[in-house]
Amino acid sequence: MPDSVRRALAAYRREVSVAVALLALLGLLALRAPAFFRAQNLRDLLVGNAPVLIAAIGMTLVILARQIDISIGSQFAICGVAAGLLAKAGVPMPLVGLGAVLAGGALGAVNGALVAALGLPAIVVTLAMMVLLRECLRWATEGAWVEGLPAAFQWFGLGQAPGRLAIVVIALLTFAAFAWGLGRVAAGRAVYATGSDPEAAWLAGIRPRRVVFTTFVFMGGLVGLAALLTSIQFIDVQTGAGVGLELKVIAAVVVGGTSITGGRGRLVGTLLGVALLGALGPALAFLGTEAHWERALQGLVILLAVTTDTLRSAGPFRHAAS
Amino acid sequence: MPLPRLERLRGRLTHEGVLALALAIEIACFAALGSNFVSAGNAVEIVRASGEVGLLSLAQTAVILTGGIDLSMGSLLGLSAVLMGAAWHDLGLPMAVAVLVAPAVGLAGGALNAVLVSRLGLPPLIVTLGTYSLFRGIAEGITAGVRTYTGFPRSFLFIGQGHLPGGVPFQLPLLLVAALSFWLLVHRTPVGRGLRAIGFSPEGARYAGIPVARRLASVYMLSGLMAGVAGAVYAARLGQAKADAGTGFELLAITAVVLGGTSIFGGRGSIHGTLLGLLALALLHNGLRLADLPAELAGIMTGVLLIAAIGANRLLSERSRP
Repeated sequence: MPDSVRRALAAYRREVSVAVALLALLGLLALRAPAFFRAQNLRDLLVGNAPVLIAAIGMTLVILARQIDISIGSQFAICGVAAGLLAKAGVPMPLVGLGAVLAGGALGAVNGALVAALGLPAIVVTLAMMVLLRECLRWATEGAWVEGLPAAFQWFGLGQAPGRLAIVVIALLTFAAFAWGLGRVAAGRAVYATGSDPEAAWLAGIRPRRVVFTTFVFMGGLVGLAALLTSIQFIDVQTGAGVGLELKVIAAVVVGGTSITGGRGRLVGTLLGVALLGALGPALAFLGTEAHWERALQGLVILLAVTTDTLRSAGPFRHAAS
Repeated sequence: MPLPRLERLRGRLTHEGVLALALAIEIACFAALGSNFVSAGNAVEIVRASGEVGLLSLAQTAVILTGGIDLSMGSLLGLSAVLMGAAWHDLGLPMAVAVLVAPAVGLAGGALNAVLVSRLGLPPLIVTLGTYSLFRGIAEGITAGVRTYTGFPRSFLFIGQGHLPGGVPFQLPLLLVAALSFWLLVHRTPVGRGLRAIGFSPEGARYAGIPVARRLASVYMLSGLMAGVAGAVYAARLGQAKADAGTGFELLAITAVVLGGTSIFGGRGSIHGTLLGLLALALLHNGLRLADLPAELAGIMTGVLLIAAIGANRLLSERSRP
């Protein structure tokens, strides 16, 4: 093996191992349950996981900056309802989309202000916001779904097939933009610098608080987009949507190799993490295993991913305090 | 001179003191608002409702003191309850033996967390996120997601529904014994001091001769044990064991702990603070219901209280941190 290939393999070790795991799963499916690869199933998988990918992009930013956001499930529900209400009020569809993203960005700004400006721990702030936002929404809507949406809302008014295509294309474009930006733009590097060492970042001329605030705003905006792309797939907007989304998304990001202590990770890994965890459940069904074991298997994948990482790299107590 | 006196007063202001004051105001408000709030029957109701979360929050306090977190306790509660039900119903064990399965399962689950956190040095947030899915997933797999174990013998239901002489609910002595044990452990033994030292600095604690790995392991195993006991109490209180038992309890426990003044970064905190936090939460839910106010208010106020508590905690800690 030439040196450059070996170095690339070493640098992308986690991405490679997740990709191998995914390929192994697909290989098994090809042998045992080729029906998995029918166009309809693959299409449903892509459309279903596109919003998860978009939320996971935001979560990658937040975790890279050494923070966490567990309120995104509640943000997701609020943005979905906001989009539905705007559409019902007769707002044109592009503005509805903008409204959902802005609503998410505003919620993210609240988190960001509490964490960055007041210096409060992100896990507690977003835990509080998760409960608070969810209950506010329940109070305001009394659990009623947003019904009677205009025809222009579902699938952007494009019809089912083009609508599905639009969802996947938007998700991939968002992914490409952020993957490029994180690696190649100064602002993206600032996120890595802040997550690796806020003090050093400050000395290098970066404002860590501003970076943290911005990642939370992006997180919220991306959740708004994810909520929009989910709600247009259905006739009504559910107010109870997004429960447990935060853990699903964090799991995908962590499996994709982003370090929970910040500063390390790539969006390619997140994409692979979303793909692996997203394919796991349907794969179980196609292999004839009971689908009830999906969650247990997801937990196992998370534990395996973090365990193999540490066994290879270093001894204990590297993260004991985190 | 008024100024130094004011300073001295501020110096005496502890988180627990402020919380006790807030609690007194809360009780006064609900006593004025609702009927039946101050009554023996309602006190029994409050103790019963907070039994399981109480046991979990005591263990969670010890975990958070070391700078860790346990997200898996709610799932482990569910798994313990389900396996206990299976041992009794499917294996035909006598209930007196089957009831021991719950703490045993809890201890085993806690041991898994303990190994991954203390031996491999993995971040507790990710380890317990993985076991959060794993434990709940196994419970779902075993029960196929739907099976519910019911029809437990009366002698078992006593744990959750029984009265001791004087109308005292069984949960009260259980909770008191657990609280006293944890209080002694955390506040009156070298072990407890060591837990705090680990929370401040694992490296420093190791140089001070504290067996860091062993202490961390014991904390996560205790946490699992309490989840197992809580699983038995939960099943006895509701008279059924189902895979979704205890969903979200980990977040309630964390809320009680943080509300009680324990720093989420570890090192600072107290068991009596946690008990006050637990009581504040329980009274909030109960009082709002009796006062005929919307139930959503409880969640909204919990979120606000939580953010206020960490804000206050931050102000206090800047002064008193060693």
